[in-house]
Amino acid sequence: MARNGSFLGETAQLVGAVGRAMGMTLRNFFRRPVTVRYPTVKRVYPDRFRGILALTYDKDTGEENCIGCRLCEFICPPQVIKVEMLKAEKRNWAKTFTLELYACEFCELCVQVCPTDAIIMLKTFDLATADRRELLLDKDRLHALGLQHEPSWATGNRLRDMQAPPKPVRAEGKAAGKAEPAEPAE
Amino acid sequence: MPDTEARHVVEIGYGGNERLVMNMGPQHPSAHGVFRAILTLEGETVVAVDAVIGYLHRCHEKLAETLTYVQYPSIASKTDYVSAMTAELAYVASVEKVGKIDVPRRAQYLRVLMAELQRIASHCLWLGTWCMDMGGALGGGATIFLYAIRERELVLDLFEALTGARLLYGFHQIGGVRYDPPAGWAERCRQTVDLIERRVAEYESMLEGNAFFLVRTQGVGVVSRELALDLGVCGPLIRGSGVAYDVRRAEPYSSYQDFQFTVPVETAGDCFARYRVRMVEFRESIKIVRQVLDGLPEGPISSRPGVKSVGQVRIPKGEGYTRVEGARGELGCYVVADGGAKPYRLKWRGASFCNLAVLPHIIPGHKVADVVAIMGSVDPVFGEVDR
Amino acid sequence: MPPFVYHALVGFIVLNAVIGMVTYVTLLERKFAARMQSRIGPYYVGPHGLLQPIADAIKLMMKEDIVPNLADRWVYNLAPLVFLIPCILIFATIPFAPGLGVADLNIGVLFFLAVSSLEIVGLFMGGWGSNNKYALLSAMRAVNQIISYDLPFIFAALVPVVLAGSLKMSVIVDAQHGLWFVGAWYGLGLLAFLAFLVATLAAENRVPFDILEAESELVAGFRVEYSGMKFSLIMLGEYAHMVGTSFLGALLFLGGWLGPGPEWLGPIWFLLKALFVFLVVTWVRWSFVRIRVDQILAISWKLLLPFTLLLLMVTAYLVARSAGGA
Repeated sequence: MARNGSFLGETAQLVGAVGRAMGMTLRNFFRRPVTVRYPTVKRVYPDRFRGILALTYDKDTGEENCIGCRLCEFICPPQVIKVEMLKAEKRNWAKTFTLELYACEFCELCVQVCPTDAIIMLKTFDLATADRRELLLDKDRLHALGLQHEPSWATGNRLRDMQAPPKPVRAEGKAAGKAEPAEPAE
Repeated sequence: MPDTEARHVVEIGYGGNERLVMNMGPQHPSAHGVFRAILTLEGETVVAVDAVIGYLHRCHEKLAETLTYVQYPSIASKTDYVSAMTAELAYVASVEKVGKIDVPRRAQYLRVLMAELQRIASHCLWLGTWCMDMGGALGGGATIFLYAIRERELVLDLFEALTGARLLYGFHQIGGVRYDPPAGWAERCRQTVDLIERRVAEYESMLEGNAFFLVRTQGVGVVSRELALDLGVCGPLIRGSGVAYDVRRAEPYSSYQDFQFTVPVETAGDCFARYRVRMVEFRESIKIVRQVLDGLPEGPISSRPGVKSVGQVRIPKGEGYTRVEGARGELGCYVVADGGAKPYRLKWRGASFCNLAVLPHIIPGHKVADVVAIMGSVDPVFGEVDR
Repeated sequence: MPPFVYHALVGFIVLNAVIGMVTYVTLLERKFAARMQSRIGPYYVGPHGLLQPIADAIKLMMKEDIVPNLADRWVYNLAPLVFLIPCILIFATIPFAPGLGVADLNIGVLFFLAVSSLEIVGLFMGGWGSNNKYALLSAMRAVNQIISYDLPFIFAALVPVVLAGSLKMSVIVDAQHGLWFVGAWYGLGLLAFLAFLVATLAAENRVPFDILEAESELVAGFRVEYSGMKFSLIMLGEYAHMVGTSFLGALLFLGGWLGPGPEWLGPIWFLLKALFVFLVVTWVRWSFVRIRVDQILAISWKLLLPFTLLLLMVTAYLVARSAGGA
């Protein structure tokens, strides 16, 4: 190894550097580990967590929110959603609704476009299975998931409200620019 | 000028009687993705490198022709997946330039904020994987890797609180951004950035002055200034070779001209110089983050209404190219629009694709152990290379 | 009972104890390293991971034994054994307490150093017999490195021998009744201990000298083609060698079984000291990046060998002067 400078000086520098590096590892020895012992301990997921998808019921009437408009099917980039519309007098329904979760990108675009806040994402991702067919979610499964797990903050209307430029009426109505009042604090 | 000798072979006057052709194949713990380097060895010294890429080709450019402008941003993040915010920004800025769409100031500041946080996260990953390549998965390298990933996870937690995703965000959209920071996010961001600044100082104390590290990185993989300029490399690779070129300064985009930051330049051109450039970039990014948080204006986060239908954005005929300073260099996107909801043609200029071109020139002459050190300091991400 | 049976029994007990200790030392290293990296090590198998080595052993025993098609079968199959046997044989010469040991030879230290160098043969056999360029490359590097570092290792280990005046291990420990050799002659012993540690790191292929395995370049080095029980024999041999040299270091420099308290506490002190040496080596391993092979050899020949030679000569001079001259 090339040695420029005094031998003693170089040795002292080497000893110092070695001591610093080893001191750093020793310091970390006494720090708390950052491991979260999943699955006994689960970390707290933020409100906007993009987990698995689900369909919702209306809070007041208990009816399905989905009107079968197929906007989510058209916008999905990997085209994992397939919907068939069922026409009726007062409103339309979804006859079938399949979502291939194994190919889903979790981009939240379907949630973004939904006019009735029917499709949402949940604060869980834990659907691992040994059979891929279980991840081909049909309508019943999607509704069941929606009832089982905690939903995320984001729904179509909330996202669109957050993104929309302020109209003159809104700017007078709300005090600050774009702070979303309904969202819980971090 | 035609390329007379694409293959650069070094004669080292080897006394032995054969050359060993060894494949550092696409599956390798330190290939940084899928990269095949066919090394020709004489003893322990590499005399020629043949690089083979294309193992991660996923037809991004063709895919962009079948997806509309509102669908593609979340796919764009998959090119440079380690630094997804800048990759989406390249696409979205390019489409906005072609369509002459304004972006409100708050959205521009948020874009800068996310790009700089992403740069911090990407450099954390770079430092960790580079030290792990040099130090072994069971050794000191893994220690630094785990420390760096611990810090990266803090930044990813911030992104998760903002968008809901940790790696591929879909944060940008044509006309602005999709998500506004929730209450309390700015304070958390400040605390995270303060912590990362202290931890970066810890890494430096562990590595600099450490004779083992210096002897592995100084004088290794020297990219001369002429070579860098000839091959069109970018990012920390060219800034480590003495050329002060940063797209954020050369062609400011998204309000970068409002912020004070220095562009680090080193002249040595070896792995250590690139390491110093990236460590200074950590601190500069933290500076920019603080400035953005202090001066974040109120206002809308998008100049267009939120996406309601798939064909919502139509760009009139035109073409244009925008480049951004990704964590690895200049990432550019050339869009040809024809008036519809989908681009007619999209071309990605990947930063790592051009950076990888130096490898056959600088590796020959070094030992096998240096190959991983050099590749790590070039920091390729194969999503950008193969698209 | 006939002495032959008695000795065989003692040897059998020590062998089992050593293998048991070596498997649990792997767990200790994993937990220690994990704490230094802000994480917890094995945790789920048994309370706090205490059954992890057993689970690993069972897993390795159940794995398929693969022999590459073009491998040299005899060399390939014998290599783990040739590697393992010297690594376990060194424990035969270590006395755990006065009178408690398999064989307290007159030439104990010499036997230890000589036999522990035999593992190189097994190592190279493994690299050659695998018919794999990576394995061969790593085996060549390893032979280079271990041969280069055996000399400073021997010279550093000879310093306590000269200070004690005998190669017999129990005599060396008895000579440390007043002051352990690590503190002898105002820092000479400390320098020798440090040189011993550095040479141990290199002779064990530990980071920063682990170009042998170099996971990020050569993916497990000469072990790359081994699976199942043969791999576990190699791993066992490596860790046994590591623990063996820790015991040697504790014996030569840190006073062996000497310590406060009653006599029967001696082996406990010995074990603790050996674990201390082992943990220091582990601590260094998890703190540094590795250096290139030519730099490793340069350190050995240009730095460590002259240094230990000088130490040995100075020690010899001091001992001769204090014994004969003055």
